[in-house]
Amino acid sequence: MNHFTFSWGNNYIAVRGLLRSLGHDLATPPRIDAAIVERGIELAHPFLCFSGKLVLGQLAAQLERGDQRLAFMSSLGPEACRCADTSEYLRTLFAGYAGFSAHRIGGAGFGSALSNLRSHFGTTVRKRDGLRAYAVFFGKVDLLHKVDKRCTALRCLSSAPEQVRALERETIDRIDRAAGPIALWRVSCRFDRAAARLPLRDAAPSLRIGVVGGEHILSELDSIMAVVKGVAERGILLDWRSGFRMLARASDGSLAPLKERCRPYLHGAPSTSEIFSCAHALDFVEEGYDGILHVYAFGCMPQTALKPILQRVAADAGVPLLSLSIGDRFAEEGLENRLEAFIDLLRARKKKGVSR
Amino acid sequence: MVTRPGPAARVGVARSILHYEFDGAIAGFLEALGADVVLSPPTNRDIFLAGKRLVIDELCFPIKVFVGHVAHLAAQGVDRIVVPVVVGHENDRVFPCHPRSRLADIVLALGLCDRSRLLTPAFRFDEAGLAAGGFRQLAASLGYPAHACAGALAAIRGVAEPQGAAAAEGRKTLGLVGHPYVVRDAWANSHLVARLERLGCRVLTEADAEPIGYAPEGTGLHFDLATRTLTLARRWDRSPEVDGIVFLLPFNCGPDGDIARHLIETTAKPMLTLVLDELRSSVGLVTRLEAFVDLLEREPAVARGRSR
Repeated sequence: MNHFTFSWGNNYIAVRGLLRSLGHDLATPPRIDAAIVERGIELAHPFLCFSGKLVLGQLAAQLERGDQRLAFMSSLGPEACRCADTSEYLRTLFAGYAGFSAHRIGGAGFGSALSNLRSHFGTTVRKRDGLRAYAVFFGKVDLLHKVDKRCTALRCLSSAPEQVRALERETIDRIDRAAGPIALWRVSCRFDRAAARLPLRDAAPSLRIGVVGGEHILSELDSIMAVVKGVAERGILLDWRSGFRMLARASDGSLAPLKERCRPYLHGAPSTSEIFSCAHALDFVEEGYDGILHVYAFGCMPQTALKPILQRVAADAGVPLLSLSIGDRFAEEGLENRLEAFIDLLRARKKKGVSR
Repeated sequence: MVTRPGPAARVGVARSILHYEFDGAIAGFLEALGADVVLSPPTNRDIFLAGKRLVIDELCFPIKVFVGHVAHLAAQGVDRIVVPVVVGHENDRVFPCHPRSRLADIVLALGLCDRSRLLTPAFRFDEAGLAAGGFRQLAASLGYPAHACAGALAAIRGVAEPQGAAAAEGRKTLGLVGHPYVVRDAWANSHLVARLERLGCRVLTEADAEPIGYAPEGTGLHFDLATRTLTLARRWDRSPEVDGIVFLLPFNCGPDGDIARHLIETTAKPMLTLVLDELRSSVGLVTRLEAFVDLLEREPAVARGRSR
């Protein structure tokens, strides 16, 4: 029987890799469309973040097509947001679907992750099976991250953005089919070679914009990222350094330097998403980016709490900041208008030589 | 203004979120140390509007109230303002929501006072309340010696748990659930207890229940105050003296919003959910309270038999 999960951009492919390593499979989540968005809004409490509504709508669509066994990757540690309470919430919400079950996979460290795998897939899951499954999972997460970031940059830098899109699609398919670490390494090498062969523009990027914000909303809603990435094809370098990989690989060790970086603005409360966004915004400022784009889901607690702090970061540095809150009634046209106005502002500043 | 560091400083404490959550422990501790404590007045319209003007719309209602209190203290010219950083439970399984853990950062980002004026001790907590480490940091940052801190801690630990006044008898008994800073802040909850009492109801709050601890175990939830809401609601649901439950949900509260549906669907007794927001008209509120009390009186069997 197929398991199912929410898409989180293309990262369901990594979850599928994990399950396939254990002899199971994962259904491909339906693409998020207007019907799924509406279903999520209808199901959710109004205060749930918009990302959560998208997830609920997508899960409901899969339950309605007959999937039953939800495998979801979420954290329980101090970095978690409301997704930590997902399990009980989903059981109440989807109690009416016959056969529905929700299985949390992952955990804080390999021990708890293995324990979770065994509780769902049986005690026959050996330690080495678990190690291999997680090696595949993290290998796919890392490679998906690399391809996404490199292709976003290449859309600006290459004179053939349609070739970049084709390479991205083809590589993601290959990542999905790769059965183990060696196959993934081959996909990575092939991608590097193909990317190196892409023709480049003569001109340097006209603007550089750093993107920070909610990892979930930036990954999940294709239409948002399609609009945002469309900016890159107009010769603007977009840089988004966070994402599912950053969350999946977060640890005390990896977060410590970022927390230190944020010390002038953030005290030591536990979190992950805010730390990434604040630290990356500070990096963009230091690296001389022309503007910062903050994209987050309406109702996202970490990013909402961070918004006034990012406003302070931007004000202190004299760098324009655009915060886009994506909520129940967002429209792509409005998103495009606001982005265009922001880009016009950045161009005008650059033309006038406005210093910070 | 000139900041006077050390024990002589006037120290401001906001009569808002953390003050209610921790039963006034921080103000009590500072007073026991001998500090000149300035507690902001009970929430009023001006305080709220000051916070609302400063804070982005999307943040929850209590954060706006809190920021209004801090703005009030800053305007009063106190030397230092305490805004604790709540880190999480000692068990590392239960945590504050993000906006509450970022109060100090929000205050700084809004420019309400500069960093040197702000005291931001980091607190962890357990079942009994705030752990000692944050109090030590607070005392040290004000220049008090360790023995004074120990004495002040002993003084506040010796104080009995606050109990509500004996609730008067009434037509019906209602149990209130919700975050302490909306249940105990009469302005924030639109004087709900008084309104219910005027309708002839007996109102029970957390102070009338057996202590449930700061972040009760056993709910499996991630956020501290949601564990408290759920545990108290269960307590009222099982209590034979409670006829109905009133759930106070601040606008845009993530943790309690997430459990709202679960709470309603797993509670046998009638439950009225009131979303507290910035729209201060009491007309709709009074109508809903009257309707709920009427429901309990006229159709108790229907109410009891509700199967949601």
